[in-house]
Amino acid sequence: MSSLLRSLRTPRGFSAPAFLAYLAVIGLVALVPQFSRKPLILHMWIMVFLAIAQGSAWNIVGGYAGQYSVGHAAYFGIGAYTTMLLLELHQIAPWYGIGLSMLNAVLLSVVIGSITFRLRGPYFVLASISMAEIIRLAALHFKDLTRGAEGILLNGIPPLETPWFTVKFLGKVPFFYTSLGLAVIVISVTWFVQHSKLGYTFQAIREDQDAAHSLGINPTLHKNLALMLSAAFTAAAGSLFALYVRFIDPNIAFGIDVSVQMVLICIIGGIGTILGPVVGSVVLVLLSESLRNPKWLVQAGLLADSSPTVAFIEARLSNAHVLFYGVLVVVVVLFAPEGFLGLLRTAVARVKKRLAAKPTPPSQPAAAA
Amino acid sequence: MSAFLEIKNVSKRFGGLAANSDVSFDVGLGEIVGLIGPNGAGKTTLFNCITGFYAPTSGDVLFKGVRINGLQPDAVCRLGMVRTWQKVRPLAKMTVLDNVMVGALVRTHSLRVARQVAQEQLRVVRLDHKSHFLAGSLPIGERKKLEVGRVLATKPELLLLDEVMGGLNQAESEEIILLILELKKLGLTQVVIEHDMKAIMRLSDRLVVLNSGEKLAEGSPTQVATNKDVITAYLGEAVDA
Amino acid sequence: MAIFLQSLLSGILVGGVYALIGIGLTIIFGVMRVINFAHGDLLMLGMYVTWGLFALFNIDPYLSLLITAPVLFLWGVLLQKVFINRVLNALPQNQILLTIGMGLVMSNAIMLAFTSDYRILTTSYTSSAFQVFGLSVSQPLLYSFLITVAITGALFWFLQNTDTGQAIRATAQDRDAAQLMGINVKRMSVLAFGLGTAMAGIAGALLAPTYYIFPQVGGPFTLKAFVVVVLGGMGSIVGATLGGILIGVTESLSAVYVASGLKELVVYVLFLLILLFRPAGLLGKSRT
Repeated sequence: MSSLLRSLRTPRGFSAPAFLAYLAVIGLVALVPQFSRKPLILHMWIMVFLAIAQGSAWNIVGGYAGQYSVGHAAYFGIGAYTTMLLLELHQIAPWYGIGLSMLNAVLLSVVIGSITFRLRGPYFVLASISMAEIIRLAALHFKDLTRGAEGILLNGIPPLETPWFTVKFLGKVPFFYTSLGLAVIVISVTWFVQHSKLGYTFQAIREDQDAAHSLGINPTLHKNLALMLSAAFTAAAGSLFALYVRFIDPNIAFGIDVSVQMVLICIIGGIGTILGPVVGSVVLVLLSESLRNPKWLVQAGLLADSSPTVAFIEARLSNAHVLFYGVLVVVVVLFAPEGFLGLLRTAVARVKKRLAAKPTPPSQPAAAA
Repeated sequence: MSAFLEIKNVSKRFGGLAANSDVSFDVGLGEIVGLIGPNGAGKTTLFNCITGFYAPTSGDVLFKGVRINGLQPDAVCRLGMVRTWQKVRPLAKMTVLDNVMVGALVRTHSLRVARQVAQEQLRVVRLDHKSHFLAGSLPIGERKKLEVGRVLATKPELLLLDEVMGGLNQAESEEIILLILELKKLGLTQVVIEHDMKAIMRLSDRLVVLNSGEKLAEGSPTQVATNKDVITAYLGEAVDA
Repeated sequence: MAIFLQSLLSGILVGGVYALIGIGLTIIFGVMRVINFAHGDLLMLGMYVTWGLFALFNIDPYLSLLITAPVLFLWGVLLQKVFINRVLNALPQNQILLTIGMGLVMSNAIMLAFTSDYRILTTSYTSSAFQVFGLSVSQPLLYSFLITVAITGALFWFLQNTDTGQAIRATAQDRDAAQLMGINVKRMSVLAFGLGTAMAGIAGALLAPTYYIFPQVGGPFTLKAFVVVVLGGMGSIVGATLGGILIGVTESLSAVYVASGLKELVVYVLFLLILLFRPAGLLGKSRT
């Protein structure tokens, strides 16, 4: 185990300018509530942060280790339910609850992983879906524990009191900062994974499990490690989501669309990259929230309150966001299987080539020595 | 005294089909043993049994005097025995350097050390000029070199090479032959599967011949070349082809 | 005992329709090696076509099969040519995602067009039943089952005795070899997807008189189709037939003897057990 810990440390490929840029972006985003507290705008940001956390968490096991789980709703839901039940039934404050929910998800991931990772490819996908469905059906059925389809309504979150300050979880601002924090943590973890031995191991398994096995990598162990990490952060996102919307039921928390959305975020942005889930989240959330709730465009000052666009979207397209998801996925898989980032990369490469080709006539590209 | 690698009565059956039956031979420290036989003779199956991808149906594999059947391939690799694949398996979307680093990371946790080892091995197999190419973009000759460089990075004591010259042109094959001989000088024990008779005769200290899963003959290249059974087996194959 | 026989019987009747869904999926998988996650949504389309014909022209759902099946066949052909064909050699993950995306588009387009209200198709015989040896046999379920048997039989005959059918089977067995033998593999893929879609559509039509019809109805059927197909062995039509009946019986028995809310859960647990311990399915040979 100590070797594993060591392998997480001392990442290479650290670049000071990139790190400063990262910090600067976080700093700027953190200032947003100082300028605008319009609820719909903050809501958009929170949804984006939660989506980033979910997408990046899925990316660890799906994008890096190449295990296309379409059953991550299991971890999202177990996180949401653990936190909500602890708070509602036992008055355990959510900041402890989230920790316990992550632990719970890790335990669940060990069980699910040890079953599903015996399978590969499409069979793994099917097994992961069935696992999440089994849990959803159980959550619907065992009402004594989960209250079944009735769901759990949150009455209130106790204030967080520290020696220095007190946070009341009223309004959107506290959720803005907690979800931003979670997104930053998950992105950073992904960065550490990519720049560590663990990242090499995961990617080797993704590219060719047998080859990796022959080169001294234990695929079962590492697939499970990737899933444990992924499950923990998915559960944290699920907990925050539940606290934020204050209501969950088995279909909201364990539904298959939760799992599908996590995959989509990564596919649309660019799978197996740090920025992919970020880009994917922005695209997906902007799209779906604009259709579901176009009023935010008014609050953002992009459209006038009386704009016919808002009225049209509200009347005609408020249920169409999943349709657009679908179209987006079809288009991305057919025309940009590497996602938006992949498109960007090829575009940049093309421009570079054109620039490089200009001064000298085209010659045999010599390999860099 | 026990040999470096001992294969004792190894049999592997798939359902009713015997891919290996009762194969035994030893490999001494520092030796190159050639493993030959017609297609379907069970050479690759034997590699799979030795490296832990298959568990032998019966029999034992001893490496450095320790029984290793039942161990997983990753454990076998950490013990110092590693194989290449007949059908190359580059980690396509990783760079050439990253591919070799994956091998090197068995022995270290530091990416810096792994990178150094990988760069060294890429020089050994003369692929250092392609470090930053994606492994999937290499032509077949270079993929084979990458395959060898990657296993060398795991710091093996025993190397199992499965047709590393298959599909290569003469100049490329010659490069590999020289590399294998160079590695032998450095004390690396090797078991080589190869179809090219000239090459295998030149490389091997000893030859083991498999035919339909059984050991047909064993001995020095000249002994084997004049063995009646071997000639029949090979003529038979030639006629079939 | 009467309860047992009764639930066994209704399990078999429902299982027939499951078999039909599974056969469609297994034909598609057999010929193209594409796992179709939009299968349940194709079934949903079949339901809506049937419902539309009934609501607009008062055409009996069983009679409307004559329209539903060809319409869905053509729809499948279109989908194959425009979308699936482009990913035949792509990573299986991308194929799965493409079909998931197609399913989302279909179900949500229907939702926009017809809202997510539950539709019910009530015929004169919807809730009538025959009494046989003290067991009650639901009329619509019985008709569905008989039609399923007829269609499965016809499909079998087609695959065994016609040139096209044999070409489809050859393609399913070995794509490359079929190509070398001069079989137009591309055309077989189009046909297979069309046939598979038609099967899903027929199943939808057969379920329409006994089921709520709504845009998201397909999802659970997609999963159930996979269970059926994996149970019988991917690519095996006989396997899918038995798998469907087995699932139908498992569901109806566990609804009685475990809990009605857990019948699907039992099916998924069974599915996982099969995947783990009998991965080639009950009848299958190998899966590579």
